[in-house]
Amino acid sequence: MSAEAEDLSEDEARALELVREQGKIYQSEFWKALDVSSRKGSRIAKKLEEKGYVEREDAVHAGNTTYLITPIIKDEELDFSLLMAGDMLSPFVGEEEVDARGDAFSQWIMNLVYEDPVIPEEEAGAPPEE
Amino acid sequence: MAFEGLLEDPVVQKYLHELVGPKGMPVAAAPPDGEVTDEELAERLDLELNDVRRALFILYENDLATYRRVRDEDSGWLTYLWTFHYENVPANLREEMERLREALEERREYERDNEFYLCEVDSIRFEFDEAMDFGFECPECGSPLEAMGNDDMVESIDERLEALETELGIV
Repeated sequence: MSAEAEDLSEDEARALELVREQGKIYQSEFWKALDVSSRKGSRIAKKLEEKGYVEREDAVHAGNTTYLITPIIKDEELDFSLLMAGDMLSPFVGEEEVDARGDAFSQWIMNLVYEDPVIPEEEAGAPPEE
Repeated sequence: MAFEGLLEDPVVQKYLHELVGPKGMPVAAAPPDGEVTDEELAERLDLELNDVRRALFILYENDLATYRRVRDEDSGWLTYLWTFHYENVPANLREEMERLREALEERREYERDNEFYLCEVDSIRFEFDEAMDFGFECPECGSPLEAMGNDDMVESIDERLEALETELGIV
């Protein structure tokens, strides 16, 4: 999802980022958050919908008829590295059953723990920041 | 070769390797353009026909390849013509991300709801009840079981869960 699409204008890219961050947003809030006019906000939302980045459904919010905007996440844009812990792939790949307490998953989680050790600044020898 | 960009992703490589195993990997790693027979693949990749077929059927089971059967007019034998469908890889990996997310949630609950004891000699972890049943001594080596924190684990699980939820648009 990190790769930004090339077919978006600057405003549209900014708007898409907002929708993705929020998970969902009413169009009546959307243009305010973007600091554009409601007309422009509506145009941006429509463009994003046409280009397949968001969905809009009719909604009523604070007494007003508006749209609820939600992101459409394309499979090929996902960050698949979230399946990895260290160099180990999710142990559920190729398995029918998911065993959340199994040894393979324990090892995967321990890889996760050691992948990104939290070193206190003093121990790491970094000068404390003021 | 088709799907070159996709195959550059090391996670995709790992994924295919996990499905077909080391012997099937030459088949999975080099999907040809268009249709191909199992025999052509075996010859081209210098592999046993059985290994090629095994890999192809695993890919088929995972929606990553399809075949159609054609009868040879002279010999009367059936030929299988295979097509690779790696355009389905991203959807499969998304499903794996969703499965992983559910497993992490379940595991987080288990880690939070239990206290654990560790035999430092054998590196075996016991739940509180188990440890108590063993009188807080390792059933393997008899050394005392020590209380073991799991804050690191819960924290790592939390972080990855949050990243997955953001990525999958679950808020």
